[in-house]
Amino acid sequence: MTTIVVNGREQAVEPGETVARLLDRLGLGGRFALVERNGEPVERDRYAEVELASGDRLVVARPVAGG
Amino acid sequence: MEDTLTIAGRSFDSRLILGTGKYETFELMRAAVEASGAEMVTVAVRRIDFDEPREDVTSFLPEGILLLPNTSGCETAEEAVRMAKLARAGGLPDWIKLEVIPDPRYLLPDPLETLKAAEALVADGFTVLPYMLPDPVLAKRLEEAGCATVMPLAAPIGTGRGLKLRDSIRIMIEQAEVPVVVDAGLGAPSHAAEAMELGADAVLVNTAIARADDTVAMARAFRLAVEAGRAARLAGIMDEQETAVPSSPVGGTV
Repeated sequence: MTTIVVNGREQAVEPGETVARLLDRLGLGGRFALVERNGEPVERDRYAEVELASGDRLVVARPVAGG
Repeated sequence: MEDTLTIAGRSFDSRLILGTGKYETFELMRAAVEASGAEMVTVAVRRIDFDEPREDVTSFLPEGILLLPNTSGCETAEEAVRMAKLARAGGLPDWIKLEVIPDPRYLLPDPLETLKAAEALVADGFTVLPYMLPDPVLAKRLEEAGCATVMPLAAPIGTGRGLKLRDSIRIMIEQAEVPVVVDAGLGAPSHAAEAMELGADAVLVNTAIARADDTVAMARAFRLAVEAGRAARLAGIMDEQETAVPSSPVGGTV
């Protein structure tokens, strides 16, 4: 296992785990999740191919009610 | 007569845009959106709190409605550009309601940072709808930067005070070559009608509907007010007179 940081909190991930797999494990599979990896936005259609690496910093956001 | 609003090549039958914030439940929000006839609604973007998972607002919105993500919470151009890119990459539309607001008391937008962010986002292919103080000169600059609309505030967000900045908005409308969307501060349907009579192309309403006792009825009231104001604008509103002009024949009194 390696460790990354998701929304400021440490998170263990399997070697080679993809963004899509992580979102599934976090209970966000199929839901609107916006992902930034090390300061760069990740395109939605690449969630299944982008592999997380030790030390990665992720921001996971989503649309919420607002004006 | 067909009267559609066109923003960045996309046509809308409704000239009322709704914010989705501040509703007691998502069900009430959805019902209000449907009653309003709105074809575009705003959403905000926030980090997920994994300790407090909430339902997905987008799953409560009517099919086919255009989501307009905003950059609320951003205090600088850099933050706003970052949020817009995150939203687009994650599958939200490339339309963005640009808000750059450093001031928490009055929630007034920073004009310089807004222009800077608008330039960067337009260059990156976004359709940019900037929230702004009704400054006709800034409006021209935003238009020249390639913004799809200009969105002046009537009064500060959430205040419901109506068209406090009416004269500046009137000049903006006179000079604008992109749609003018009056956004923020409209508290009553009469305020929305007034904005439309003045020549605004559309209005954006959130708090006045979301905080009404009966949100669905108020959404319908705003819909009717926007339609009435628009119809009056197209019909041609009479000029004010200083003195009375009788409506009945002057002579022949019995």
